[in-house]
Amino acid sequence: MALTRRQFLTLMGGSAGAAVLFQACGLPEKELLIDSPPSMPEDLVSGIDNWYATTSQQAGRSEGIVVRVMEGRAKKVEGNPDYPLNLGGHSALSEAALQGLYHPDRISSPLVRTGPRGSGEYREISWEDAIGRLSSQLNELETANESNRAVFVTNPQGGHLGLVLNRFVDAVGARHLAYEVLENNILRNALEEVFGSDSIPEFDIDNADFILSFGADFLSTWISPTRYARGYGEFRQGHEHRGKLIHVDSRFSLTAANADQWVHVNPGTEGLLAMSIMQVLSSSHPDPVFQSLDSEGILDSYSPSNVAGEIGVSEETIKRIAEEFSHSKHPIALGGGSAGAHTNGSQNLKAIYSLNRVVSNVGEKGGIILNPKSPIDDIGAAEPANNFSEFHTLAEEMKSGNVSVLMVRDADIYYGMTDTADMKAALNNVPLIVSFGGINDDITSIADLILPQHHFLEDWGTDVPVAGPGYQMIGFQQPVVRPFFEHRGRNLGTKGFADILMTTAQVMGKDLGLEGQTFQEVIKNGAKKLYELNRGQVVSNTFEGFWNGVLQRGGWWDVEAKESAVPDVRSLRGVDSPEFGGGSQQEFYIQPFVSTLGDGHYSSLPWLQAMPDPISTATWQTWVEINHKVAEEKGLSEGDVLEIRPANGRVIKALAMPNPAVPPDILGIPIGQGHRDGGRYSAGRGANIMSVLDLKMDSELNSLAWAATKANITISGEWMRVPKFENTVPEFPRDEHHSIIEITSGEHH
Amino acid sequence: MADSNKWGMVVDIDRCTGCQGCVVACQAENNIPINLEEHFNQRRAIQWIRIERYWEGEYPNVKARFIPIMCQHCGNAPCEPVCPVYATYHNDEGMNVQVYNRCIGTRFCANGCPYHIRFFNFWEPEWPESLKNQLNPDVTVRSRGIMEKCSFCVQRIQRSTREAERDGVDLEDGDRGLNPACVNACATNSIIFGNFNDPNSEVSIIKEKEMKEGGRGYGLLENLGTDPNVIYLKKVDESVEVGHGH
Repeated sequence: MALTRRQFLTLMGGSAGAAVLFQACGLPEKELLIDSPPSMPEDLVSGIDNWYATTSQQAGRSEGIVVRVMEGRAKKVEGNPDYPLNLGGHSALSEAALQGLYHPDRISSPLVRTGPRGSGEYREISWEDAIGRLSSQLNELETANESNRAVFVTNPQGGHLGLVLNRFVDAVGARHLAYEVLENNILRNALEEVFGSDSIPEFDIDNADFILSFGADFLSTWISPTRYARGYGEFRQGHEHRGKLIHVDSRFSLTAANADQWVHVNPGTEGLLAMSIMQVLSSSHPDPVFQSLDSEGILDSYSPSNVAGEIGVSEETIKRIAEEFSHSKHPIALGGGSAGAHTNGSQNLKAIYSLNRVVSNVGEKGGIILNPKSPIDDIGAAEPANNFSEFHTLAEEMKSGNVSVLMVRDADIYYGMTDTADMKAALNNVPLIVSFGGINDDITSIADLILPQHHFLEDWGTDVPVAGPGYQMIGFQQPVVRPFFEHRGRNLGTKGFADILMTTAQVMGKDLGLEGQTFQEVIKNGAKKLYELNRGQVVSNTFEGFWNGVLQRGGWWDVEAKESAVPDVRSLRGVDSPEFGGGSQQEFYIQPFVSTLGDGHYSSLPWLQAMPDPISTATWQTWVEINHKVAEEKGLSEGDVLEIRPANGRVIKALAMPNPAVPPDILGIPIGQGHRDGGRYSAGRGANIMSVLDLKMDSELNSLAWAATKANITISGEWMRVPKFENTVPEFPRDEHHSIIEITSGEHH
Repeated sequence: MADSNKWGMVVDIDRCTGCQGCVVACQAENNIPINLEEHFNQRRAIQWIRIERYWEGEYPNVKARFIPIMCQHCGNAPCEPVCPVYATYHNDEGMNVQVYNRCIGTRFCANGCPYHIRFFNFWEPEWPESLKNQLNPDVTVRSRGIMEKCSFCVQRIQRSTREAERDGVDLEDGDRGLNPACVNACATNSIIFGNFNDPNSEVSIIKEKEMKEGGRGYGLLENLGTDPNVIYLKKVDESVEVGHGH
């Protein structure tokens, strides 16, 4: 099969080597002569597009993408068909990266605050000045032997950026905390206990025939949805027998909507259900999982007759699920999301994942494939984020004046922390807040010094995915366009985050012990270690050939380099009942969920704001999913402004949006709006549900139990039209004989 | 590859999760104006491909069903004969084509389309200056007063055809340069694009298999006689009786 020109270009790297390859390809001369000034780079030829491979690590997901570049501008993002984690598909989040790159409110140079904090009054300064200010502050702390009063908060970071970051914080003596609004710590800790590794394993959904998922909205937003959706398509129609999906959740999510059966459970009882399934199976599956439980007589207390009432399902349902799960050839149990966001979240997830040990699917086709370690020693996947309680402690330290310099990168602790932790007030007490934000997210909008980083499409990087494909891989991120603010000159514009750190260290006279003077060199030298392995899908006689190869393909992977060891089953303890903030006086459970804006970090991107929420089709606002009958009883209709009132006395307003799938005691509220800034598409829009949550934590890890708050609602009397796509077009001219969605029982298939 | 092309699609709604990925991909590729909050409130948001969601039942026995809907490029298109200026016509590759600079905005075509996939530009499209850098140079930005709709990403077909002719090769079925943006974006492989005149294309093979008695294929509102160029494959649900639908 001949390689088409487009495919060929898709495989091109963004280096000088690419131009050589291009000419060697033997394209007609006239193609290269169209209005082409002699000095014009190859990708600036009018009318010719190039596709460069890179990696998107947005929202902690790893997605291989190819970016269409024409006349020096990025035009379109598509999935990289070679990349193991998404195989050509891509998410709306990756697509919208272009709007981040060309966002009208991007920060185009270093800034220092001139007005009161939060006023938005800044003055442009040069990079030399900006880095000088940061380094002199860090130097002062060091001289006073108070380096630990400098705190660096970032998103969880792996790969070479993680390496540079760790070396930097070690060199300057700062403390580093990794922050996630919705922590994956509970998940990763549970995986560590059940499978012996805290990396998120590959779920071989493609080859599974039965999936039992608990709370994890894996078809929409959870961990690596593009890749799970890829597997799901095959799970449904790629094999002779169509797979069956049962989704256990207290809310009707997109995954619940696509399931063959949505099993509604009371919030936080997912783990009880998993234990009960194990109790049913214990007689027929003499498995090590049960030994510890049986020996203590724990398991019997979870028999369906004992727990069905608390879970809110029938005994028959529990028994039937247990039977289907154990009789399937390739069953998978997975869980996360709200199932892990309760006071018993850790226990829930451990019980859920232990179901896999019962059916011994670890390392099996259509089962759980564990991930091996990084192929090179000095870089790895991102460590789990710090627990919520550590940020709570940080807020206390700030209040007592123990934090002098706070550096922040892609970690909006102003926005994401519940107000019950009092972070906003605590931040007021920090003398210097330094942000590396490229756009004014909330924490950047109150920063004193801003050192704006490149957009990831302008920067280098590597990605050792936390949720790997079941074999060794490293994604490579390369700049697909020159920095947008390059025209502002060397003193202004943006810089790569790692390069900012490396320059700051250099100014401070610190040796980070990195191999290279720039981040690009560090990565290239890192790639040499991969080259020397002489295995994987890119091998070459020369390093330059190898380097071009990994850039062309968007990374390096070795499908043979798998994890073969399956660790012993550790003892499993029981699952407690969940506890909630508020009590019987509060009528509803608040169930925050991720809709189109991630954890709120992407609220600045208009394509994501305008992307209809799959269930409600709502956009641009914060709405409340409420049961349609409950709404009717309360005299509520769509657009009524509700006040959500947890017992902690805080309140937010959001728009009522009744639908027939919401359980009567649940309020589903999307995360992501309610920013003080974030640019013109984000500021002052909707409300932030995270800000009013009770201070309830997981009993084992002290992570925030973000689904453990109860609340009442009051009707404010205001009304606002819900911006939604539903009803934008008229109804189809259909009748009882002609359906829009035709459904078959599958008997003929 | 056949001598002439008849472009079409197969949409498998048993694979589709309703994730909206195709919707955003289409907006990016086709310079669709940003749908601001007020556009939704006025019911004038533009989506060349949209996901429709149908409710079935209510809690606790409730289902939501999803279906992506785009221009069906009907062989017998109700939108075509009503246009007084021939702004919309059928080309010889089986596609329903919109010529923007002919359109005078009567909106007769939108009235005629039973699928409601035609969208009218009630405003001059606006982008902040920097976001214009993203606009696709292969796609016209439509001005106020113009009707627009899914083109099967005709610019990709044109570019691929040109490149194939130049290189003296056939267009390749499933080539990602030829596929519309929604097809490439779709993670579940719900949407397949290809040439129905090529018996070896994936769409033809699926058509052959699924449009038979007992197969899952059907045309949307095909009772209207529009002869759509998009084949849908039925949702499978073991819990329902055959012939059930929305």
